[in-house]
Amino acid sequence: MRSEYPSRSLPSGFVALVLVAGGLACGGCVQTTVQEVRQADTQIGSGESVVILSRKHKTQGETEDDFVTCVSDSVNQGDGALPILSEREFVDATFPWFEPKTAPLNMEDLATVIARPLISRRIDEIGVRYLVWIEGTTERTDESGSLNCTIFSGGIPACFGFLSWESGANYEASVWDVERGMTVGTLSSEAAGTSFVPAVVVPIPVIARVRETACANLSDQIKTFIHPDLASVPPEG
Amino acid sequence: MALLVGAMLLGGCKGGASITVDATVPSPLVDPIRASMGVYFDDALVNYVHEEELEEYGAYRIDIGASQAPVFARVFNAMFQDVVRVAPADRDETSDATAADEPAPSAPDDDEATEADGAGKAIRFVGTDGSSPAVAGIIAPSIEEVQFATPDQTGGDFYEVWIRYKLNLFDAGGQNLGEMPLIGYGKANERNFGQLGQQTPALHEATTWALRDAAAVLALQFRDQAAVQNWLATIGVTTSQ
Repeated sequence: MRSEYPSRSLPSGFVALVLVAGGLACGGCVQTTVQEVRQADTQIGSGESVVILSRKHKTQGETEDDFVTCVSDSVNQGDGALPILSEREFVDATFPWFEPKTAPLNMEDLATVIARPLISRRIDEIGVRYLVWIEGTTERTDESGSLNCTIFSGGIPACFGFLSWESGANYEASVWDVERGMTVGTLSSEAAGTSFVPAVVVPIPVIARVRETACANLSDQIKTFIHPDLASVPPEG
Repeated sequence: MALLVGAMLLGGCKGGASITVDATVPSPLVDPIRASMGVYFDDALVNYVHEEELEEYGAYRIDIGASQAPVFARVFNAMFQDVVRVAPADRDETSDATAADEPAPSAPDDDEATEADGAGKAIRFVGTDGSSPAVAGIIAPSIEEVQFATPDQTGGDFYEVWIRYKLNLFDAGGQNLGEMPLIGYGKANERNFGQLGQQTPALHEATTWALRDAAAVLALQFRDQAAVQNWLATIGVTTSQ
């Protein structure tokens, strides 16, 4: 079940959205939380694109490649799709300035990198306006129960038992405006759920698709954050 | 179902891996040093294979030789205004620039070596056509060591690979000016290779990232080395990037 999130402006100039929704998804219970902090207005012009990147300098808790790919593809599709340059295309085009060891960790570092004429020219050539840095992972916790599988005579396999586990997907995206050299906002998407696999001969998995839910929510957030006019467009159907 | 049972039966079976990495890197975005540079890739470098038998995990073979010349050529072509492939005039005449796996350096013949500043024997490098190259210096990378680790060994999330290089810098006369250590580190998140049998592609990716990291470090930090700065000063090149 998807959630709709109203927004309200804060006197400080920051816009914050905090929404919590619960519901059943794909048979497993998935609870989602989405937050947004806007620090500046955003707009994207013709010929400009967005890059979705993950941090790769950490020794643990590195964001899964398929989550970054999921967000990148989702932002590039559907209503309000934004032009996307893939992470690989971007890091190749700017090599070696956005490698795991060399990628700027903050705006000051980015400004130093972009101040180099070679980099500045290349960024202009490839038309990148926003860098969206994703951090976070999906973790599986609190596993309980057991599932035993065996092969009976005649080669017939069978499983018996009950297995369940909790999964939590917690991701945060920091949006950098390359042109203005500033952080324009931070978005986060959390999803938690319980999956279970009852088995009487045949296991029947009921999976809480927390990563897919977090991806869908974060992708929609990125679209409406960078292109705010989309938020006023009524949903289809 | 059969796959599920098979997967359970095979769980924990690692069995080593054998990979061949034939990769290159993008051309680095760096301002070239305004000098013509000779580069020498010895046989030990371009044929480098790391083999290791791990008692509990099996035999591992990481062949990275084929990647060395393309990776270094791509980086050097961006780092210098002009790049010329060179080799010692006598190919048996190896130097400290050669890899650890190669035979110990032998003294060059008297008629092919000259004393430079009394600081040891120089090596006469020649171009691919046998002529003396018009270069301001010569650089010769070699691999000193390769190490790797799997998540099973470290308890972490990553397959990891380290490649330890040594780059010898020679002046135009073949006198060794010093060596630059270079370490390339690459990792591949186990989470991206969750299925059984994914150890080989994971190690391949980690090795590819290690090559890429070495290339990045070389492109960005070469000018910071003391020996390089001294050499640049002697050939009249400013060190700002």
